[in-house]
Amino acid sequence: MKKRNWAPYLLILPSLVYLTLFFAWPMVRGLTLAVWDEDASLSLHAEAQQDSPVAGRLPQGTQIEILDQQGNFVPPEDLEEGNLLTEVWFQISGEDADGQTVEGWAPESRIRVREEAEDGTPVVGSVRTKLGSGADPQTSIYAEPNENSEVVGKLEARTRIEILDLATLEVWYLISGEEDGQTVEGWAQSRYIQVFGDETRGRIDRGNTGQLTTGFIEKMVNDRFFMPALRTTLLLMVIIIPIQFVLAITMALVIQAGLKGNTIFLYIFAIPLGVSDLAVGILWFSIFTHHGFLNTILQGLGFIDSPVTYLSADTRHWILVAVWLAEVWRATSIVMVIVVSGLQAISQEVLEAAEVFGATLWQRIRHVILPLLRPSLQVALILRTILAIQVFAVVIALGGGDVVTVLANETYRQYSDFRNPNVAAAYAGFILLLSMISAVIYLRTIRTQEEAAE
Amino acid sequence: MNTTGKSNSTTVQASKEVQEIHRRMLRRQRFNRVMTYIVGILIALWILVPIFFIASMALTTPATVRAYPKGILPFIPFSLDTMNFFLSSEGIVPGIINSVIVAVITLLLSTLIAAPAGYAISRYIFRGRDVFRLSILAVRAFPIVVLAIPLAVVFIQLGIFDSIYSLALMHTALTLPTTILVIGSVFASIPYELEEAAMIFGCTPVQAFRYVVLPLVLPGIAASAIFTFVMSWNEVFAAIILTIQNRTLPAQVLNTLSQSSEPYQFAGGFFMLVPSLIFIFLIRRYLFNMWGQITK
Repeated sequence: MKKRNWAPYLLILPSLVYLTLFFAWPMVRGLTLAVWDEDASLSLHAEAQQDSPVAGRLPQGTQIEILDQQGNFVPPEDLEEGNLLTEVWFQISGEDADGQTVEGWAPESRIRVREEAEDGTPVVGSVRTKLGSGADPQTSIYAEPNENSEVVGKLEARTRIEILDLATLEVWYLISGEEDGQTVEGWAQSRYIQVFGDETRGRIDRGNTGQLTTGFIEKMVNDRFFMPALRTTLLLMVIIIPIQFVLAITMALVIQAGLKGNTIFLYIFAIPLGVSDLAVGILWFSIFTHHGFLNTILQGLGFIDSPVTYLSADTRHWILVAVWLAEVWRATSIVMVIVVSGLQAISQEVLEAAEVFGATLWQRIRHVILPLLRPSLQVALILRTILAIQVFAVVIALGGGDVVTVLANETYRQYSDFRNPNVAAAYAGFILLLSMISAVIYLRTIRTQEEAAE
Repeated sequence: MNTTGKSNSTTVQASKEVQEIHRRMLRRQRFNRVMTYIVGILIALWILVPIFFIASMALTTPATVRAYPKGILPFIPFSLDTMNFFLSSEGIVPGIINSVIVAVITLLLSTLIAAPAGYAISRYIFRGRDVFRLSILAVRAFPIVVLAIPLAVVFIQLGIFDSIYSLALMHTALTLPTTILVIGSVFASIPYELEEAAMIFGCTPVQAFRYVVLPLVLPGIAASAIFTFVMSWNEVFAAIILTIQNRTLPAQVLNTLSQSSEPYQFAGGFFMLVPSLIFIFLIRRYLFNMWGQITK
């Protein structure tokens, strides 16, 4: 071995960087989704400006009254964002009743466009007639594209004007709503507000201020599929893992026996290691389906007269049996490989000594092999449990994912079908928690056993 | 005379007893051996028979697939019609191409990034080595399901969602820890003394690596690369979360599973299975390198 230098750090650097970028960072960002509501509440400003102080906050979904509205500058890239309301103002120039040239801004609603340039920009227009008797027949022209700005002049209806420029503004609303019995009033951008028909009332559609919330976790726990999914996942874990370990140790002993054709056995036993869970699900589907091999064989042997339906909503237990067999078939190999490498680490003399002293096979397994295999078994157990908590494609292939559902399937459904990444993240976090708890329990139990043995 | 004769007879008797015990032991050994064979063959059948079933369904006519009861030799009539039907279904060929692209990118990225790290953990003792190994192990045992959702959300924010390249990035994150550990064990199996000897004979460290170590580790690294390929080829949960239009083969099959016919499903299952059979056969010698490592 070389002496310590900087080389190893340089060598592990790429993998560290990669895992930070594509593992640790998304993990942290993603899991915060489960407890962080980005749209929790809307900040209301004292004036209709982004930089004006926050006057109060209202939670998403609050019913509000709309008191006033005003157009405001909006960055062009924000216009692509959905559901924001805009108004357009024209910078115009025309002559007023006294023959004076007035130059200033007027809202689009007050101007009729008469001529457009080739690219569609309006160049010439006229002032619209005001309807209604009591209103001022003249149209005010403002210094800035804002009704609160100074009035620089007034134009008569039907005055011909030149359009110099136009500005697209986002509508801001002065809204008031109640939270905890207190009235909160302030300005907010239209993009956050859903306006009702008469334009005096509305509701806060989404917020712009994040907040810690347990809402998504509550939603997950109260989801009607949560408990069935958890129960099935745990049940599968409990029925799969013990049989898997018995089978894997048996396989390992067969391989360790050094028979002729050992490598063939090893290859065959290892095949499922490389088969995808989806393919395994389909494999067992071909056996359990209505016109499948199980019915063919049973009928051939005369046990049944007509094919039995196994994989249907009424035969939940058969779906579980099929998933159980498929998972045992699929995931025993990895345990087997870990056990075999553990066995190879046990010195041959120890095993031979036990045999020479007349220990039976069972005694050898119970008192020599299993204790020496403990570290391997521990690793295999943790790995298998974590994999069992994630069981997914096999269940979909055999049961469709509705009748028998598991946690991973609910994660997928929340994300893809219900478009709710927050609840999906809550499910993912829950799976992570379960995995960690089971790993800790195994490590603890095994340590306590060791202490008891000493 | 008498005494000697007596002693002779006891010796003969004793050796007879020994022979008897010996015979019994031999018989027991032979019996054990036969039993082991029987158990081994039974387990082998347990693994092979379902594969035979699906193969026989995939390599026959769709009519035979639907028939009931199935024949004793379901292979007959042999036909590629079912496979053709599957391969000509919508989205399958693009799915296969996507799967291969994703798996190849994953294989290249994963091997390139993992090889130096594997070399480092097997050749150097450095502060933080155990922490590095442990965190690699922790990442390796990490649930895929947990990583897929966060990555999907981040990819959407970055605007690289629904692309097979972002899926390859994710698969690389998933396979990287295994690849590092496997390549580490491959390097560990080549004694450092060989490198040292080459350097004593005048090689630079780089030359020693290039001409002595590299040829020896290449088969092992190739095996690990193949395994990386298989992991990516098989992965379905992240694939179905991260891609919508550009589905990989497993994601496409899973997505259409509930609306598809049995010939399609069986052919699809078989098609996904075949590469695994071949690849596991190619790398069977290295399987213990792969998984044995993590218990050490």
